[in-house]
Amino acid sequence: MKDQIEHSYEQDIVGDDIYSIRKVIEPHRDDVDHVMKYVLIGIAAVFLSVMLIMPLAVVILNALRDGWQAYREAVLDEYTVKALQLTLLATVCAVAVNTAFGLFASYLLSKFYFRGRQVLASLIDIPFSISPVIAGLVFILTFGKIGWMGDFLKAHNIKIVFAVPGVILVTIFVTFPFVFRELFPVMNAQGKDEEEAAALMGAGGLMIFRRITFPHIKWALVYGVVLCTARAMGEFGAVSVISGHLRGKTNTLPLHVEILYNEFNTTAAFAVSSILVIMAVIILIIRSFIERKRKI
Amino acid sequence: MYVEMRRINKTFDGFQASKDVNFGVYKGQLAALLGPSGSGKTTILRMIAGLDRPDSGDILINGNRVNDIPGSKRGIGFVFQNYALFRYMTVADNIAFGLEVQKKSKKEIKDRVEELLELVSMQDLGKRYPNQLSGGQRQRVAFARALAPDPQLLLLDEPFAAIDAKVRRELRTWLKQMIGRVGVTSIFVTHDQEEAVEVADTIIITNQGRIEQIGTPEEVCRYPQTEFVKDFVDAERFEALMAIKKNGNNRCQNSPFCGTIN
Amino acid sequence: MRQKKVNLCSKILVVLIVGFMITLTGCGGNERVASGGGDGNAELVELLNVSYDPTREFYATYNKMFSEYWKEKSGQGISVTQSHGGSGSQARSVIEGNEADVVTLALAHDVTAIEEAGLIERGWIGEFDSNSAPYTSTIVFLVHKGNEKNIQDWNDLIKDGVEVITPNPKTSGGACWNFLAAWAYQQKQDGNDEDVTKKFMKKLYQNVLVLDSGARGATNTFVENGQGDVLIAWENEAYLAMKEYPDQYEIVTPSVSILAQPSVAVVDSNVDDHGTREAAEAYLEYLYSDEAQRLAGDNYYRPVKEAILKEYSGQFDLDMNLVTIDDFGGWDEAYRVYFEDGAIFDQIYEE
Repeated sequence: MKDQIEHSYEQDIVGDDIYSIRKVIEPHRDDVDHVMKYVLIGIAAVFLSVMLIMPLAVVILNALRDGWQAYREAVLDEYTVKALQLTLLATVCAVAVNTAFGLFASYLLSKFYFRGRQVLASLIDIPFSISPVIAGLVFILTFGKIGWMGDFLKAHNIKIVFAVPGVILVTIFVTFPFVFRELFPVMNAQGKDEEEAAALMGAGGLMIFRRITFPHIKWALVYGVVLCTARAMGEFGAVSVISGHLRGKTNTLPLHVEILYNEFNTTAAFAVSSILVIMAVIILIIRSFIERKRKI
Repeated sequence: MYVEMRRINKTFDGFQASKDVNFGVYKGQLAALLGPSGSGKTTILRMIAGLDRPDSGDILINGNRVNDIPGSKRGIGFVFQNYALFRYMTVADNIAFGLEVQKKSKKEIKDRVEELLELVSMQDLGKRYPNQLSGGQRQRVAFARALAPDPQLLLLDEPFAAIDAKVRRELRTWLKQMIGRVGVTSIFVTHDQEEAVEVADTIIITNQGRIEQIGTPEEVCRYPQTEFVKDFVDAERFEALMAIKKNGNNRCQNSPFCGTIN
Repeated sequence: MRQKKVNLCSKILVVLIVGFMITLTGCGGNERVASGGGDGNAELVELLNVSYDPTREFYATYNKMFSEYWKEKSGQGISVTQSHGGSGSQARSVIEGNEADVVTLALAHDVTAIEEAGLIERGWIGEFDSNSAPYTSTIVFLVHKGNEKNIQDWNDLIKDGVEVITPNPKTSGGACWNFLAAWAYQQKQDGNDEDVTKKFMKKLYQNVLVLDSGARGATNTFVENGQGDVLIAWENEAYLAMKEYPDQYEIVTPSVSILAQPSVAVVDSNVDDHGTREAAEAYLEYLYSDEAQRLAGDNYYRPVKEAILKEYSGQFDLDMNLVTIDDFGGWDEAYRVYFEDGAIFDQIYEE
């Protein structure tokens, strides 16, 4: 038994722990385990159907309730298209900023040691623990008319809250830690030996990043970007607070869904929801593809 | 003197890792920094390599003070404890990296890589990735990679620590032969007395950031100058090793220390 | 092989960097559009109308009507952006920097809040006819078809087992009107005995099943999610629900209700910044035109013009006994007595 563990770990130096664990468990399977397995599978299946599959089916069925034509109209409606554009803009901005930031931050925190390193790492996690509504309010109180920077912004004719920049800002805020959280453990585990070795051979910072660091974090980075994208597209709370619900201007897709629903326009609400669901499914597929890639 | 450390001090976060370190290594010598873990031997090696900066004191290589010269310009090859092979590059690319940085021509790089692969007897493994190699093979790649840009000084941090006990002895002999063949001045760090005795020409014994004694294996083992060296070095074991060396008997069945090593 | 890999990596890097630049300039571009929206551009005037929940359908049509009218009158194109939500929170957003040119809110108190923040000049209530309320409404009950619980008047709402849906007066303007209508009814029954009325109100709110934050949320809770037996609703909201879900609901008019006067005002400080005063004032003034009044009627608001209101006498119960906010001493007084923190509503609800 012990030999087996050691053996399988040795084989999987690359880090595919799941397989090695399975190898250890399998010889011990007996009837009790067998029953247990199917009970657990059953519970998981019921849970997933009630919590996930059923609601998603409802969305799709309701979206197509009044036929394909109605669906098309709802999806191609002027305000829907604008909301989609804003959602995409906010998502792209959030992903770009947070990717750049995540790269810098995780590089800094994994390759350099300095006082306050732990504090910084925890600070970056704050958006995980703060309710998005609070995040929205915080931005209003900072950049709003009666906020700290209100007078300054007004004097320079810069509009942030209840305008597109505000929507982008809060989206960046709530998705802040995603890329960092994926990159940091990978960079940390890599250590700095390889970078030091390359530096000793005279390689410059950019070359080290390109040839040594980047290939190592590539999939973690893409994975973080995917998570960040998913979260940015779906954000409701923070955006709802800061958007002011200006139709065709500061409404993102999730907000637009709520508005349509509130206008007794259920079919359209579900049709627009289905866009979000479809995007989520695409992201899910990309995600599982990446997860497989990362294992190799 | 090819490498010289003069009155070196170094402190990390209040922990003094080097206290007034002085020593020199002659050109062509193979020196071992020997000491218990935490005795500051790796710090010394990293300072020579330019990976850490001393707080005070001078580092001289070939007579020039190199404190302010970056590690990459000191003509050094470095073998890391875990080899730090570039895991996303093939063996050949690993070896070629330092040459590419120096912007050598493609042909030159190709020839040199082949030469080195041959030197470490890995001609057929150039296309493999590090995780497809055994521990010993990785060490050989790390060695070849460090030698590729033709350094004047080779630094090795615990070169045998990551290797299976069984093949360690074999590799030691191999490494000693290689270094002799290339003729490069070398300093390696170890905590294993037997390793130091068997491989090094000169042993530098460190303890709590200080240099305790410098000398040939024989001097250090037979004539310890401090209490620490006396305790740390096992004279009996040394004699047994010497006996083996003399007899040219690597199987050591007569030695009471066989199997107790490590 | 290796060369290819390097190329891929650097390509990804380049794409990342370029993407980043584009988004930065993209964001910047949008900022400019957002901030430069109202330079008094002769081609296209942009107005922002911050309104409350149930007016969505009305203003969606009215904005088209007005922009045609304005194009003809002044030659300017106009584009009105709508924002809807609970009246109180909408007022709050204007105070916090939502740059509304006009507000069309559920009650005068919310407009006063904006006035107190210094954005609207005093005396706004006299700026347009009928206390700056171009349409009115009242509070009615919406019940399920057949009215199984036989709900006819306010006192039926406090019966055991009757589940009531009404929004929260703290956030919803409509909810304030609901509260005051119920209060007025009970005061009339008991000859203005405040203690008895408080007990009545307490029982009423004990029957409240869901306290939504806005009128539209409450309507949705009732009609889409099927919660509760009776919805206390804006008359226009109740009619709209009837229209959306024919044959499922009926309207019950209580014996006493309140004349709800949703207020409109130009947000002076914003229109001056945007240079949109002329258009904003015309936008609200035009609400009193015959066409707009009829449009209000079509959307189940009671037109304020007597002549037009008469045209809708078949639709509205014009004989309802309606108290007005003046019977409560005006909105400021009413809000202070009933809805401020620790005032009567809190006392009733928290006990």
